[in-house]
Amino acid sequence: MTNYLPGDLSRRSFLAAMGAFGAASMAVPRMALSQDGTVLTVRSYSDLQVLDPAYRLSLPEDDIIRSIFAPLVIPQPGDVWGWKPVAVDSIEQLDDTTVAFTLKDNIGFTDGYGQMTADDVKFSIERMADPANESPYAGDWAALKEVEVKDRLSGLIHLKNKFVPLWTTTLPTPAACILSRKAMEEMGDKITTEPVAQSGQYLLADWQPKQKTILRRNPDWAHEPGGYEEIHIIPIEDPATAERGFEAGDLDYTWTSVSSLPRLKENPPAGAVVLEKPSLAYVWLGLNQDNPALQDIRIRRAIQHAIDRQTVVDAAYFGAAGVANGIIAPGLPGSRDAVTYDYDPDKARALLAEAGAEGLTVTLDILNQSERLTAAQVIQANLADVGINCEIKQNDSGTFWTLGSKDGDYFMDLQLVLSRFSMQPDPSWASVWFTPEQVGVWNWERFDNAEYKALHDQGLVEDAFAARDEIYKKMQALMDESGCYVFLTHEVVGAIHRDTVQPGLKPNGESLYSEFKPA
Amino acid sequence: MLGYTLKRLGLAVVIVSLAMAILFVMIYLIPGDPAAVALGPRATEAMRESLRVKMGLDQPVWVQFWNFFTRAWTGDLGNEVLSDRPVAQVVMEQLPHTLALIAGGMVWSVALGIPLGCWAAVKRGSWADRVVGIVSVAVIAVPSFVVAIYALLIFAVTLRWLPAIGAGDAGDLGDRLTHLILPSLAVGLGWVGYIARMVRASMLEVLEAQHIRTARAFGLPETMITYRYALTIAILPTVTLLGVGIGQMLSSAVFAEIVFARPGVGKLVYDAILTRNYPLVTGAVLVTTVLFVLINLLADLLIGALDPRVRSRF
Repeated sequence: MTNYLPGDLSRRSFLAAMGAFGAASMAVPRMALSQDGTVLTVRSYSDLQVLDPAYRLSLPEDDIIRSIFAPLVIPQPGDVWGWKPVAVDSIEQLDDTTVAFTLKDNIGFTDGYGQMTADDVKFSIERMADPANESPYAGDWAALKEVEVKDRLSGLIHLKNKFVPLWTTTLPTPAACILSRKAMEEMGDKITTEPVAQSGQYLLADWQPKQKTILRRNPDWAHEPGGYEEIHIIPIEDPATAERGFEAGDLDYTWTSVSSLPRLKENPPAGAVVLEKPSLAYVWLGLNQDNPALQDIRIRRAIQHAIDRQTVVDAAYFGAAGVANGIIAPGLPGSRDAVTYDYDPDKARALLAEAGAEGLTVTLDILNQSERLTAAQVIQANLADVGINCEIKQNDSGTFWTLGSKDGDYFMDLQLVLSRFSMQPDPSWASVWFTPEQVGVWNWERFDNAEYKALHDQGLVEDAFAARDEIYKKMQALMDESGCYVFLTHEVVGAIHRDTVQPGLKPNGESLYSEFKPA
Repeated sequence: MLGYTLKRLGLAVVIVSLAMAILFVMIYLIPGDPAAVALGPRATEAMRESLRVKMGLDQPVWVQFWNFFTRAWTGDLGNEVLSDRPVAQVVMEQLPHTLALIAGGMVWSVALGIPLGCWAAVKRGSWADRVVGIVSVAVIAVPSFVVAIYALLIFAVTLRWLPAIGAGDAGDLGDRLTHLILPSLAVGLGWVGYIARMVRASMLEVLEAQHIRTARAFGLPETMITYRYALTIAILPTVTLLGVGIGQMLSSAVFAEIVFARPGVGKLVYDAILTRNYPLVTGAVLVTTVLFVLINLLADLLIGALDPRVRSRF
C-alpha cells in the first residue's frame, strides 16, 4: 500500500498522535476569561442594531451607547437609585426650569472630530427632542425648551415647565449621551452599527453580528478609566443557554432566569456569586372593559376576587418573586402595601351570580414563555373554581405585542391578557401607559379615567416624595376600582458573576458595562 | 448528460419559484404589525406609519408580491428594516457558520455511519449487527436538541473539555473547530443512524452480487472486497440520502444554534420572525431554499454521473 505520510509515520500512528493531541487539548482546564483582569465577557440578551442614542431599540444597546458616547451622567451603581457624573464636571438644577452644566475638559471625539463642547450638548439634546427627527425618545425631553451655550464647556438646559423625572429617567439614560455635531451633520443620518466620533470610556472595537461585540478601553479617555482592557459582549437570547455558558467558563457575568435562581443560590458554581435584585418590572392580568363579556364591572370584580395572586406568583416564579400590589415597585413613590381586593372565591361566585354570568367562558392571551404559561394555568384553575371557563391562548412575541392595538383587528376581542412592562425608576414611567391617550395603544384594558389622567399630569410636576406617593397610590386605587387589573408581581432579577469581577449594576440589576471592575 | 442536467436545472427553478410564492403567502398570513414590534412601545403612530411605508406594507398585496418576486430573482433582497444593512450582506455573514455546522454534522454522520453500516453488513446476524441496529434506531429517535443539551451539559459544563457557547474567534481556525465539535455532533448524530441503516441494507444487497462472489473466488482480501468492490456501489443510495439529509440538518441547525448560542442562518430567521423583520425573513429563507435546492441538484447530478441507468431514465 502506498504510504502518503512522511518518513516512518504510519496512518495508524498518525491517527493515534492526533487523538492524543485532541485529548490533551481538551484536558487543559478552561478558565474564566476575566481571570487575567484584562477581558470581561458578559452576556446580553440581544445583538445590537442601532447605536444612535435617539433611536436605540433595546437595553443592551443602551449599555453599549453609554460606554462609547460619553453621557452627561449615568446611573449610580449600587442598591440606591441615583446618578454620577461622567462627561460633566458639574450639573445642578438652578430652579424648576433651569439646569446648569459644565463639561469636563479634554473629552475628545474619535475620527478627528475634536473636543466635546457645550454646543455638542445642545445639538445632541435638541436633536432628540425635535419632533421632526421622530425619535421614540423625544418624550424624555418633552419638557425641553432649549439648551443655551454659555461658553465652550458650559451651558444651561431650559425647560418649558417643571419636570420631575428629568433626574431619574431622562438624564441618567442614553438620552443624555453626547454626539459630535460636526460628525452627525456630515453624516446626515442616524447612527446604525458603525459609530462615528466616539467619546466614551470604551470604544467599539469590533462587531461580529450575532457573535460578539468588543468594547476596548479608550486610550484617549483622560478621566476615570474603564475597569477592563476589553469587554466582550455575547448576544444570547435564552437565559438557560447563558447559564450553561457561565457554568462552562465561557462568561464572567450573565442575567439568569428567575426559575434558575433557587437552584443557583442553593448550589452556586465554584468561584461564582449569585445575585438577586429587586426588579422594577410589573406583571398583571388585564381585563378589557370594552369586551362585551366583560363590560359588567361585577364580572371584572369577580375575576379580581377569584385570583389567588400568591399561588400564581409562587407557581410561576418558583417562590423567588413576591406579590405586587400595583404597577410601582417598592422604594418608589406610590408603591403600595396592599390592593383593594382580596382573594375571595365566594364573593367572586356571588358577583357572577348577581351579574347572571355563571358558566362564562373567557380567553386569556399570553406570551409563549414558561413563566407566563404556568401563571396562566393557575389563573385558569382559579377561574374554574368560581365557574368561569378560561381558555389559554399562547402567542409569539411578534403577535402578542400587537394584540391590543387599535390598528389591528383583535383589540375588541381581547378579553384577559397577561402582560409585563419594564420601567425606569420613576412612577410616571409606569402610570403613563394607562392614560386615556394610550387606549388602543398600550392601554389594552381600555381603562379610560379622566381623574387618573389628571393625577398623572400632576405627578410629573410634583417633586415632594409624600405628595407624589399619595398621587400614585390614588391612581392605582382607581385602577383597582375599574376591575380591569389584577396585579401579580414585580418579578426579581437574577444575576451571576465570577468572584474575580466586581459588577457595576443598577439597583434593579441592569448592567452598566463601564462600571464593571476586577474585584 | 446535458439534457439530464438541463431538466434538473429547470426543475430547480420551478421549485425555487414555488417556494418564494409559499414564503410570501406565509409571511403575509403571520399576524402582528412589524412596525409596532420593531419600534417598540415608545414610537408614535406617525413613526410606525413611516416604517410601514419604508417596508412597502402600504402597497396592495399583489404589488408587494410582484416587487418581492422580481427583486429576488435579480438578487436584490432589500435592506434590513432597522439597521438598514443590505439583507444579502446580513445573510452572507451568517451563512458560513451554518454551512460549517452542516458540514461538521455531515462529517460526523459519514465518518461514523458508513463504517458502522459496513461493519453491520459484514457481521450480518451477529451481536455486532444487532447492537448497530439498536444504536442506529436510538440515535435516529433522539431529537437533535436533546443531543445538544446533553452534549453541552456533559462535555462543556461538567467536564469543561469543550466550549459551551459561540463560534470561536474569527481568524483562529483551531478555536473555530473546537466550537464546532458539540453543535455538529448534535446536528449529525441522528444521521449516523440513517446512514448506517442505509449502508447496511445496500451492502447486504451488493455483497450477494455475482462480482463479489467472483472476487471472493479469486481469493481477494475481505477488506478489499468490502471497501473497494462493495462499498463503492452500495454508497450510491447514500449520496441521495445525503442530499435530503442536508435539508434536515438545516432545520436541526436552528436548535443547535440556539442551544449553543452560535451565529447562523437558522437563528437569524428565528429572531427575524419574532421581530417581524420581513425583509430579513424572506431573504434568509430564500437563500436557504436556494442552497437546499442546489445541494439536491448536485446530488442528482452526482448520481447521474455515477450511474448511467439514472441518466437514461430522463
